[in-house]
Amino acid sequence: MIDGLILIVGGMAAGLFGSLLGLGGGLLIVPLLTLVFNLPLLTAVGVSLVCVIVTSGASAGVYLERRVANLRLGMVLELFTAVGALAGGLAAFILPENVLELLFAALLVYVAVTMLRGRDPEPEVGEAESDAMAADIAADNSFRASLSGPGYRVRHLGFGAVGSVVAGVTSALLGIGGGLVKVPVMHVVMGVPLRVATATSNLMIGITASASAIIYLLRGGIDPYVASPTAVGVFFGASLGSRIAHRIDVKILRGLFVAILLYTSWQMLQRAFA
Amino acid sequence: MTADPQRGLPADLDRSIARLLTFGTYVSVALLGVGAVLMFARRIAPLAGGPPFQPELVLDDVVHLRAAGFMWLGLLAAIATPAARVAAALVGFLRRGERTMAIVAVLILAVISLSVVLAQGLGA
Repeated sequence: MIDGLILIVGGMAAGLFGSLLGLGGGLLIVPLLTLVFNLPLLTAVGVSLVCVIVTSGASAGVYLERRVANLRLGMVLELFTAVGALAGGLAAFILPENVLELLFAALLVYVAVTMLRGRDPEPEVGEAESDAMAADIAADNSFRASLSGPGYRVRHLGFGAVGSVVAGVTSALLGIGGGLVKVPVMHVVMGVPLRVATATSNLMIGITASASAIIYLLRGGIDPYVASPTAVGVFFGASLGSRIAHRIDVKILRGLFVAILLYTSWQMLQRAFA
Repeated sequence: MTADPQRGLPADLDRSIARLLTFGTYVSVALLGVGAVLMFARRIAPLAGGPPFQPELVLDDVVHLRAAGFMWLGLLAAIATPAARVAAALVGFLRRGERTMAIVAVLILAVISLSVVLAQGLGA
């Protein structure tokens, strides 16, 4: 009973933190299950993938309803994330657990460093430039132009496809949504505005995670007794986070989160070399 | 039908898919929640190791109010919701005669199906 409650509360904390910092809950679920409950990494990743699907589903619905997410672009890229997730899901059952733990530790350090550096401000597109671009896109009947949106033109689709495969593999191996790869690729490489890239990435997470979650499910990598309370906790934590985000000083939270990430990374490294 | 001012994509399609995603998510969370409550009520230790996934037992478990049945059903609903979203988009694109996007949707569903086949082929 107590373990179940800790799973719910831990899931809520992961969902709340993830939502407030725009990272998704997956990043904290795997350390919670492996380091606190001593579960095998594969089980933790399987559970995390379910949590990621559940949290992204509700928010992706909102983003689509508000027309922030780009459905067409998301679907084209998620074809590649699904391929990557399929490959990653199969590889996860072959790779030694300590290799995955090392990869996870590296991921945590990468996220901590990225958060310390902060995000670059989004380049603004002037109104006249935006109108000219919209007219330009409307006149262009190419497939690439059909993926563009208001005020931006999608470029480097090939790089986007490669980045999406990498995001899919990362998601399947480490139980995260893959937004850490997809958002920078879409925003920096493909010229998609950050807000649209974040929303579109969120939409893509469902297919990315479900392609590998199927493999985890059918190969015995998902424990329902652990997944259910954790996913319910993450869902409510993320919902709460999205409601109170505007009232929280994210700067303090960010510092605390970086410390947690670095500490968790150290613990994961110790586990990998144990 | 309201059209997207930029791309001519019907707003209805986005809205339908959004509702499908939201509905699927709430249904799966509700099922997982019921499963968790039943697990607590029956004093099942969550870390003792859950039962393996056996599709043929899921409905029987649900009928007999066993926690695992609701949990597996919730997990299946969660995993199936994104694929259902792609299937809904496929129908929308076919209705609009957008062959390229329809092919993209079919390919995504093919990859999802392939992951089922490969996972089953490799066994637990």
